[in-house]
Amino acid sequence: MITALTLLIQVVLVLLIAPFVTGLVRWFKARLQGRQGASPLLVYYALLTTLKKEHVISASRSWMFRLVPFIVLGVAVFLALSLPLLFSDSGISQVDLFVLAGVLALSSVFLVFGGLDAATAFGGMGASREMTLAALIEPAVLTTFAAFATVAGSASVQDLFGQGMTAISHPALLLSFAALILITLAENARYPVDNPATHLELTMVHEAMILEYSGPYLAMLEYASSIKLTVFLLILGNLVWVKPDLAFDPTTVGLVGAGVVATVIVGSFALALMESSTAKMRFFRMQEYMSIAFFLALSGLILTLVV
Amino acid sequence: MLWLSENILFASLLFTTLSGVVALGGRSLVFHKLSQTLLAVSGVLGLVASFKIFLAPETGLQILVEFAEFFPVFQLDLFGAIFFSLISFVSVLCAVYAGPYLRSYQETYHLPSLNALVAAFVLGMQMVILSQSPLAFMTGWEVMSIASFFLVMSDRSQDSIRAALLYLVMTHLGAAAILAGFLFLSQGSLFIDFSTLASLAWTAPSWLLWTCFGLFFFGFGSKAGLVPLHVWLPEAHPAAPSHISAFMSGVMLKVAIYGFLRVLLFILPPIGTTASLIILGFGLLTALYGVLYAVVDRDFKRTLAFSSIENIGLIFTMIGVAFFASSVGLEGLYQTAIVAAVFFTIAHAIFKTGLFLASGVVVRAVHSRNLEKMGGLAKRLPVFSMFFCMLALAAASLPPFGPFFGEWMFFQGLLQSFSSTSALVSIVLIFTFTLVALVGGLAIFAMVKLFALSMLAEPRSVHAQEVHEPPSAGELFSVGVCALAILFLGLYAPTVLTLIGGGDMTASPLELSIGSATIQPSLILWLLLGCVFLAWIGRRLTSRVEHEREYHGWDCGQPIDASMEYTATAFSAPIRFFFRLMLRIKKRVETQPVVASNPWIVSHTSTVHVRSIWMDFGYLPAGRFLLGVADQVKKIQNGNIRFYLFLIFATIILTLWIAL
Repeated sequence: MITALTLLIQVVLVLLIAPFVTGLVRWFKARLQGRQGASPLLVYYALLTTLKKEHVISASRSWMFRLVPFIVLGVAVFLALSLPLLFSDSGISQVDLFVLAGVLALSSVFLVFGGLDAATAFGGMGASREMTLAALIEPAVLTTFAAFATVAGSASVQDLFGQGMTAISHPALLLSFAALILITLAENARYPVDNPATHLELTMVHEAMILEYSGPYLAMLEYASSIKLTVFLLILGNLVWVKPDLAFDPTTVGLVGAGVVATVIVGSFALALMESSTAKMRFFRMQEYMSIAFFLALSGLILTLVV
Repeated sequence: MLWLSENILFASLLFTTLSGVVALGGRSLVFHKLSQTLLAVSGVLGLVASFKIFLAPETGLQILVEFAEFFPVFQLDLFGAIFFSLISFVSVLCAVYAGPYLRSYQETYHLPSLNALVAAFVLGMQMVILSQSPLAFMTGWEVMSIASFFLVMSDRSQDSIRAALLYLVMTHLGAAAILAGFLFLSQGSLFIDFSTLASLAWTAPSWLLWTCFGLFFFGFGSKAGLVPLHVWLPEAHPAAPSHISAFMSGVMLKVAIYGFLRVLLFILPPIGTTASLIILGFGLLTALYGVLYAVVDRDFKRTLAFSSIENIGLIFTMIGVAFFASSVGLEGLYQTAIVAAVFFTIAHAIFKTGLFLASGVVVRAVHSRNLEKMGGLAKRLPVFSMFFCMLALAAASLPPFGPFFGEWMFFQGLLQSFSSTSALVSIVLIFTFTLVALVGGLAIFAMVKLFALSMLAEPRSVHAQEVHEPPSAGELFSVGVCALAILFLGLYAPTVLTLIGGGDMTASPLELSIGSATIQPSLILWLLLGCVFLAWIGRRLTSRVEHEREYHGWDCGQPIDASMEYTATAFSAPIRFFFRLMLRIKKRVETQPVVASNPWIVSHTSTVHVRSIWMDFGYLPAGRFLLGVADQVKKIQNGNIRFYLFLIFATIILTLWIAL
């Protein structure tokens, strides 16, 4: 019962703060680039407005087009539910790293279907690129998670990211931690893999796929990427500071609250700083990025075995 | 007494034979239907017999015991029953499918001979599984090979005949190797049964065992499509009618794996580290090459054939890891990897059958195997495309379908053995792990390409715009059963494992467990469905559903048509670029001026050719060499009768000299 309650609290909290995280990253980015920046809360208004708008649906679409937003948002909720984001033992112990990798790939696959189903060249281009990235990041994802699993002695995501294994307490994980950051950037369509703010179709990956979506479906897809970003930031946060076990006394709740807020702020700032100081990579150099991520992950795995 | 399992098994063989005999009755559709019905009945009986063994694994079924004096007994044990049930399952589906499917191709194929050959093909495979002696095994093997050779060229086109001849050469090289292996082991006697053979093998010297291992590996590998012996596979599988492709890819490759495992597990003594590393290496090479070509190919059925090569590579990788683990003393990993290999084999039989059956419907609807001409079918065939989508996702090893749990077991097994022993073992396991992960990622790409380019968006050709022949009930049924079966194989993976003798890997009737890790497939499915349902509720609560309008896609201000869509070539372009060192791509852009006086107005033609390095550097030079040698040898045929007499005389002298 307590577990179910924690899961509920975790899902609701992550779903609630997700748009704020996206807004915060944009605000930090604007400030760093010398602009005034819109309020981080603007994303909520934007989502609500999009929800109320009329949905213009492409005449070329099939049943797949309508299914995509539900699957993508569903997978995002699945991530928010199953990972240990608030307490060290919240989440679902049955979900292990292979399920996690599989579910992430599932979400990419459906986005790709959505991009292609609209029958425009941009959708196809985004889809082809997204599929390439998703396929090539797969070995890096599994190898990185495998390194964490080797240290934790278990493959369940609860033990991987919840049991107080931090980059500080287990220095052998530093390389894997770096690989995880690269994976986070690739999975969330951020710099240098993708430009989340672009309006030039030729440089888009994620945005090109959802070009044909409007109204509620667009809101769902945007919301899903917010949730995914939040989840990844919280996971990275887990690897820096140790979460307390599940308890409902004021100190624990306060500690968790402060931790989440700190993670979100620091994470958003770091992401904004990184995005303001690097350039997007040319897509056909992406294999370099993927190779770096993979070899970092591999070195990390070997390091954890040697140490 | 009629319900004795032996009788059921025997009846299954009998009905297969009858199906072939009835098919020869004539060109009338009655015979066609009757033949398919009999084949389906044979399949159902085979399934019943196999399940009797699954439920009581200790009692093997023996038939033809009365003739044991003359002929080794045919026997079905638990290991054989796994493969026998696959053959039976696929025959039922293919029979149901072929009923309506072949009716559309009455002019193309000669139905009586086609159906008779299918029956012979199935009978051959059943015999291979049931046989307990090299003689019966090779007989069944040859029946299977020759029947499938004729089936490949059943449309009698030039391409099919070329493909079939290539297949015949490869499969007979393989069969010769297997036969030689058996003969070496049994010291020349084909009539002894496998248990005697095993006892002979255990006392054989190591050079003989190495020779036999090499021969068996070559023989079964060439049938299964291991790189570099795979060249026949992407030619032969697409050339055959779709339900034959399903048979060949779905079960014939499995029969090769059955033979290989039968020899390794039951006949040869444990193979050493080196031999297992050879299997592992070839497995990984096969998986990587198969998947890369599956990504870049533009032919619907060839993509599926390359994907089969990839899956066979994965299965051989699992087998290789299993024997490697056994030879370095990792008993747990050995168990896990063998069970994962068998489980993945079952999964592959189901989804690849479904995909090839689906390919028949697609190819007939579009009148082409070219992915560039497809598209838009999801709108026209919604139910069919949903089944196809499930099969494609399953083939990409995504949760919550069966293959995912097969890979899960394998990955878990590897992961838990990383740190257990020496550095060399860890390196091999990590290398396998990462390479299989890469193959998995690319497999997703290949399957997404296959589904999305054929089903989604606007039709890319006139033929795809109107589907003249929608799938009939029988065809839809077969594809649908495969799609549901692959889902249920995932959901009930623990039950399946218990049935096939991998009960150690189930924690409870609902949970898989490998070492310290457990997973409950149904929980994953319901969680995913629940989350999607939550998303659905959320959308209903927060926005109005009917608030929508249909309009054409965003067109940048000028009319948009299907020629602007992404094609299969364009879709796989990044992978072609990133892996250009491994793939041999010939890209040529030709520029021709439209107006002779103006150098700026030109038309470009771009062609992309994917070549196979095995053909270019292996088979074609070897073929040229053979032809060259033959040309030299031809010189002694100078037409002079006295010279020929001299040759005969010389031969006799030589023979006598050797013989005495």
